[in-house]
Amino acid sequence: MDNSNPGVTFDDSGQCTCCRDALARKPHEWWPTNEGRIRLNSTIERIKREMADRPYDVIIGLSGGVDSAYVAHMLRRDFALRILAIHVDGGWNTEAAVRNIELLVRKLDIDLHTHVVEWHEMRDLQLAYLKASVLNQDAPQDHAFFSALYRLAHKYGQRYFLGGMNFSSESVYIPEGGYPAMDARNLRAIHRAHGSIALQTFPTLGSLEYLWLARIRKQIQILKPLNYLPYDKEAAKRELLETYGFVDYGSKHQESRFTKFYQEIYLPARYGFDKRRLHLSALIVSGQMTRDEALQELKVPLTTQEQAARDKRFVAKKLGITVSELERLITLPVVPHERFANNQTLYRINQRFRKIVGSRR
Amino acid sequence: MRPRIIPVLLLDSRKRLVKTRRFSEEVYIGDPFNVIRIFNEKEVDEVCVLDINASIEERPPDVGFLAELASECFMPLSYGGGIKSVADATPIFAAGVEKVVLGRASNDPVAVRALADSFGSQAVAACIDCRRIHNDWRVVFDRGRAVTSRDPVAQASAVEQAGAGEIILQNIDRDGERTGYDVNLVRAVSGAVNVPVVALGGAGQLSHLAEGLRAGASAVASGSAFVFIGRLRAVLITYPSPHNVKEIFTNGGAVS
Repeated sequence: MDNSNPGVTFDDSGQCTCCRDALARKPHEWWPTNEGRIRLNSTIERIKREMADRPYDVIIGLSGGVDSAYVAHMLRRDFALRILAIHVDGGWNTEAAVRNIELLVRKLDIDLHTHVVEWHEMRDLQLAYLKASVLNQDAPQDHAFFSALYRLAHKYGQRYFLGGMNFSSESVYIPEGGYPAMDARNLRAIHRAHGSIALQTFPTLGSLEYLWLARIRKQIQILKPLNYLPYDKEAAKRELLETYGFVDYGSKHQESRFTKFYQEIYLPARYGFDKRRLHLSALIVSGQMTRDEALQELKVPLTTQEQAARDKRFVAKKLGITVSELERLITLPVVPHERFANNQTLYRINQRFRKIVGSRR
Repeated sequence: MRPRIIPVLLLDSRKRLVKTRRFSEEVYIGDPFNVIRIFNEKEVDEVCVLDINASIEERPPDVGFLAELASECFMPLSYGGGIKSVADATPIFAAGVEKVVLGRASNDPVAVRALADSFGSQAVAACIDCRRIHNDWRVVFDRGRAVTSRDPVAQASAVEQAGAGEIILQNIDRDGERTGYDVNLVRAVSGAVNVPVVALGGAGQLSHLAEGLRAGASAVASGSAFVFIGRLRAVLITYPSPHNVKEIFTNGGAVS
């Protein structure tokens, strides 16, 4: 990490707070050992027994990226689970992403459910976010995914979501560095302020509904199976490539053309923030890369000028605005999410409540 | 040249892509531009875009929209919906569309002849929608609402005579069903005309495409096979890879 981010400080040895935090969490969150395997086996056996009379054992997400694909691959190969995969199409899919999903679904014989977000609503919402000039521009895509997931789980009576989230490549994040995509009140307020059409079909999950379903009733348990394996993203990618003819589309989270724009152009331009730092730091924490190798990799520019111009043209055209308008939106002064109505107090109360309840147990 | 494999995309009144089942139960597929871009990268032979409500709503083609679509589309693009005359078709060709598809207008031999004379037969396709009614095949128009007494073979000969350079033979009963083409229908019509016949309606997987070709179709088209995958009809844009295409033509479609 470097000190370009507020909230990141360094100790005397030069280690930053987020890496120290990740290292401290490592033994509690990642079990790349035989013990991890045993834990995973017993969890999955329990799920199988519990879900025996349901149409599926688990729900997974498929974005077309490596992590979620590896979850599908591993769960089918090692456990023959009955899997329902969900894919949310926000209108930004790359060809590589849809091809990867197709390859997996066909070869593993997994049932897929796609939720296609109405593009004219998605476009209006994303333009509203850009105009609002807030940090989490990926919130519309993420919110749509989890809302669709809860609906699907309800429809099929499912209880377990096994995600591709993993300590091995994602352990490092900046404290208070993001804004939760699940705050529907914030999403609606941003859209009310800057949107122009009604969101009639966009899948949202109200905050109370979310807290009720996710945190209190625990309708869905979200598990991270990759944390029970010696997961190595590069090795996983090679395995998927050899087994399925998986298509490698370059760096992380580029199954969506919007996310590519957000991470390679928007974040660096507005916050001087290069998201690779988090990813590479995580690989250092997990022992899959040395600090020198990471620094070497950071020397490669995030994108080239030509590529950035192409991506901006693409995003502008897709959103129905000019490139100069998009550039103007990128340079707007940063506005905190809290400037819009939100439910952060509710989340904090819930967290405090859970801490109190948790400590009494 | 190997037979063409053609995805057919349906536009509703709001320019949303949808897919129907027996011409109703519309399911939202997505934004036409993103779908076209994905097909570009999949190196699709040809794409056919049909506005399914234009004729019913007496709406002329939206030339601005088509120009935008054609500029994004790297493969030959054919378009149908609301085209009645040379005057309607001229700006569409100017916008970069390579072929017009006639529905209701294909029943008007004067209009077909005028279009073929102006733009060449190869640029004029007639879409013949048919349904089975009391065990007879009948030609229908206006999304199946107007039933005629014509049978598809007679209609195919008539549009060929009038100057259409291609016939898209659409089976409404199998639309969106993904159970395969009605090969007898394809065989009967293909055998009756000299112009290329494109089978449409019923294909759900690659082996179905091979069946359509074996029945005599010159090219095979489908909506469902390229926008849905699996038992849950999940929306996913697909197209056979060159390797799969080769298998279709050599093994008669053993791949699924």
